[in-house]
Amino acid sequence: MNHSPTTKAPAQDAGLSRRQVLRGFAAAGALAATSQFSVARAEGPRVGGRIRVASVLSSIADTLDPARGALSTDYTRHYMIYSGLTQFDSRLEAKPGLATSIESDDATLWTVKLRAGVEFHDGKPLTPADVVYSLLRLKDPATGSQVLAIASQIADVRATGPLEVQIRLSAPNVDLPVILADSHFLIVQYGAADFRTAIGTGPYSCVDFNPGVRTLARRNPNYWKPGKPYLEQIELVGISDESSRVNAMLAGDLQLINGVNPRSVQRIRSSSGYTVHETPSGLYTDLVMRQDSRPTNDPDFVLAMKYLLNRDEILQAVFLGHAVLANDQPVPPSSRYYCPDIPQRQYDPDKGRFLLRKAGLGQTHLAMYASPAAERSVDIATLVQESATSAGLALQVNRVPADGYWSNCWMKHPLTFGNINPRPTVDMLFSTFFQSDSPLNESGWRDARFDALLLSARSERNESRRKQMYWDMQKRVHESCGVGIPAFINLIDACDRRLKGYFPIPIGGLMGYNFAEHVWLDD
Amino acid sequence: MSPFVTPETRSEIPATKPGAAATVTGRKRKSLPLSGRIGLVMVLFWVAVALVGPLIAPHAPGAVVSNKVFGPMSLRFPMGTDYLGRDMLSRVIFGAQYTVGLALAAAVMASASGTVLGLLATISGRWVEEILSRLLDALICVPSTIFALVMVAAFGSSLPFLLLTAALSYVAGAFRIARSLAVNLSVQEYVQAARVRGEGRLHIACVEMLPNMIHPMLADFGLRFMFIVLMLSGLSFLGLGVQPPAADLGSLIRENLSGLDNGAPAVLLPAIAVATLTIGVNLLIDSLPQRGDDA
Amino acid sequence: MQVILRLILKRLAAAALTLLLVSVIVFTITSLLPGDAAQTALGQNATPAAVAALRLKLGLDEPAILRYLHWLSGLLSGHPGYSYSDGLPVSALIAKRLPESLLLAAATAVVSVPIALTFGILAAMYRGSMLDRTLSTTALAMVAVPEFLVATVGVLIFAVKLRWVSALTFELDHPSLREFLRGYTLPVLSLCFAVVAQMARMTRAAIVDQLRQPYAEMAALKGVSTSRIVLTHALPNAVGPIVNAIALSLSFLLGGTIIVETIFDYPGIARLMVDAVSYRDMPVLQTCAMIFSAAYLGLVLIADVCAILSNPKLRRQ
Repeated sequence: MNHSPTTKAPAQDAGLSRRQVLRGFAAAGALAATSQFSVARAEGPRVGGRIRVASVLSSIADTLDPARGALSTDYTRHYMIYSGLTQFDSRLEAKPGLATSIESDDATLWTVKLRAGVEFHDGKPLTPADVVYSLLRLKDPATGSQVLAIASQIADVRATGPLEVQIRLSAPNVDLPVILADSHFLIVQYGAADFRTAIGTGPYSCVDFNPGVRTLARRNPNYWKPGKPYLEQIELVGISDESSRVNAMLAGDLQLINGVNPRSVQRIRSSSGYTVHETPSGLYTDLVMRQDSRPTNDPDFVLAMKYLLNRDEILQAVFLGHAVLANDQPVPPSSRYYCPDIPQRQYDPDKGRFLLRKAGLGQTHLAMYASPAAERSVDIATLVQESATSAGLALQVNRVPADGYWSNCWMKHPLTFGNINPRPTVDMLFSTFFQSDSPLNESGWRDARFDALLLSARSERNESRRKQMYWDMQKRVHESCGVGIPAFINLIDACDRRLKGYFPIPIGGLMGYNFAEHVWLDD
Repeated sequence: MSPFVTPETRSEIPATKPGAAATVTGRKRKSLPLSGRIGLVMVLFWVAVALVGPLIAPHAPGAVVSNKVFGPMSLRFPMGTDYLGRDMLSRVIFGAQYTVGLALAAAVMASASGTVLGLLATISGRWVEEILSRLLDALICVPSTIFALVMVAAFGSSLPFLLLTAALSYVAGAFRIARSLAVNLSVQEYVQAARVRGEGRLHIACVEMLPNMIHPMLADFGLRFMFIVLMLSGLSFLGLGVQPPAADLGSLIRENLSGLDNGAPAVLLPAIAVATLTIGVNLLIDSLPQRGDDA
Repeated sequence: MQVILRLILKRLAAAALTLLLVSVIVFTITSLLPGDAAQTALGQNATPAAVAALRLKLGLDEPAILRYLHWLSGLLSGHPGYSYSDGLPVSALIAKRLPESLLLAAATAVVSVPIALTFGILAAMYRGSMLDRTLSTTALAMVAVPEFLVATVGVLIFAVKLRWVSALTFELDHPSLREFLRGYTLPVLSLCFAVVAQMARMTRAAIVDQLRQPYAEMAALKGVSTSRIVLTHALPNAVGPIVNAIALSLSFLLGGTIIVETIFDYPGIARLMVDAVSYRDMPVLQTCAMIFSAAYLGLVLIADVCAILSNPKLRRQ
């Protein structure tokens, strides 16, 4: 399940440099999809059956609009109903979706060839106009788009043929094919605006949508991947209470759940009919030390706190081992851009105490804000408080309700906890949470060299040079950025043993929210 | 969690019955029956734990002392360990302090201010009464959990605000009881007589009426205490409640709920603690001589 | 009869005033909440530009007092506005949830009221006996355990281990009695735990109170059996307080069920209101608060009317 860092085959690199054309996909066009399908058929997926799936949260803010998707339940719902131009594979590289090819000479002007014969659920054919509309509305502030910042890189989208679209970026970005696989970039029908119901080209069509209650979806017999999907019907609900979610599955009411607490894993494994799928991911909960307030902007304080993170204890007590050790930088070991050369920072209360004293902070009282909104941050804060006390620093844990945490607390106080979901590309991760002028630069860290590297890497087409840049950036974050990252949290799903076809896509739980088109139910 | 008003509240309201207040004053003193004594022992036990416990607790409530989560009862950890490997005995002791202290203080605040406002409404003019009644009616209308949720979201869950929230949620119920008692008393002969004598309103309220309200208000206070304990545990279910690493008894149940399946002491013991505390208080109150019990 | 009509009219006027006050209080407290609908909708992605645009779209740039007045005038004309979260009319959202809440409350009432009355009447008949003490302590123990623990234990035993019932309550696509029982048994039982004790205690207290009245003591002296006295004399006279207790429990069953709704994923109106708090969805929150308050005031009024109708003395006044 753990994907070792992979590099592109040298032959491909060579091909790329020879032709100077960026291809979105490693394999040629539609072949990738069909070949995977034939493998799946060899194992004998069964068509039919109904399942009920529970994600972690559902509320009146649930939406059928991919642009406004804010939670895993939304992403899952959107992938059920809509398709994107591209799709993630299990290494988070782009695979063909509604686009059969996506190419560029300069990483700025991209040509997208659309798949022929794709139909929306209402029978209308997919046209370039739908794609243009879907992408451009992400840039419109009035849409309420969750990806306004990323979408603002798109300068223009134009239909250039009956099945061709051109996307012009405001600056080069070699990651565009991967970005387009994100759920916010799914393709809706031209003119779709009120989203009371949903018409997409995805594997399932929407039968009933009741915000905060459920989404009922039925198999789309005209799905553009022949033979897929397999299930007759999926009912998606959101259950915020973890023990309710697990109990309901064990009682036979649910066939697939995500957000399983490490404490429930043993129990599910020992049950007869259910199993656990664990995916190492880039998800992390981090201690954010703001660089614009005292005393968290003191480099000695930042370093001291990093030494005071008792990572082994956090790994064992909080995650029961269902996490991967992290090293104060956000790129997980499963990424192909992970830098293995940085020595692991160890728990060292003596060094912590020394640095605190050096900073003149021996007897400071400081509040640390944690919330159920940031996964496990309350427990991590409790442990950090314990080890800080042993180093002479009095930290007070302030647990605040999940309600409103992100808008009112996170990054607003000197010491808060963040919770960063896996991002499909290192560029997205760095530019959202670490770039100096990003509004979500968690710690307010400013590093001109880092910013420069980020921009060059975005347009760098040589894979090994790009990797070197990402390595340098990881080192800079590890050394001086005001975030302490103790662990990468494994995504834990659980399901009925009869549910087959599951493979991890480490962007999120439930197969990167995209289980719907892949799984089937054995008799 | 409980309905916003105790049923006993309402029982007092159609108290236009003649003679109701007279039986309140005419009760006999009796020694406690067995159930009352059991209740008294339970209550005293928890009060003692809350007062003395923290001095003799083996560990700090936040200290991770074992690498075994949901550990069983053992000599070293008499109540086992919790979901992070902390000593349950210490956590229950400190939890009892929060639960007893917070709920007690909130119940005192609710009952006392309810009584004062109830008296005020009865002895003042029609406008004051009308305004007070509408305001407190408005407060009682909104479900207490949701009221608490909004309060915590707006003002945070520091101890003073938690206290205020719990007290505010239950003051309206106390007010209703106090007012109906006071209305009954105000038509009693001795109160009328005092009025004829020309006593001031304050004198009538404090000297003539208040002493006769204390007993039923005390009974109501006990129930209010129980509901506040349960409301705090309900709040902890919603992720509100006291700040970690401290926890009230209800939060202890909540945070260790995943140990329920294999019967971890970490979830059973705080549940027993809450049950004995609330049942104890009620046994004690039920056995206090009341107007129904001298038959 | 006139006294009842006058009471109803007076109470309705007071209720209107109370509702207005509730809306002002709720509005004031929610406007003290940090953040607004635009910020919470965007969550982690709430960049200033995005928030400003969404605010404009939702009309949040208007002054608060104006938004309140808009909502109020809308409500008075029967249209409580649109949800900030999903743009649906508030009435449509409520129309989906309210019947579910009413169904759960009704089912719980059907089970809990007879149990509570039986407990209360038996305890009163044999007051001071072993049976009385057992019943009273059982009722106490039921309410003394936090609701979420009762519900979770119930799920573990009856849904996970025995598989007799469902651990969640789903929307019934093909309603049948069997499906209904599977889905509703556990939530109804958990709620019964919360309300039975109080109704039983109240019933007992009210009947014991009647048994102490001279007429009951006289009947007992004449040798009428206790059960006869209780059922034919005390009970009818104790209807007032008992109905009051039932009314209060019912109003709790509408608005106080957030924990049960969360555990069983029940699509009731309490969860809608909690969502509305989280997403700063003022129109939804206000409308829910109005519904709860109106229900409470209405139930209490009905109970008082019942009390008067059942009591000849009050009726004559």
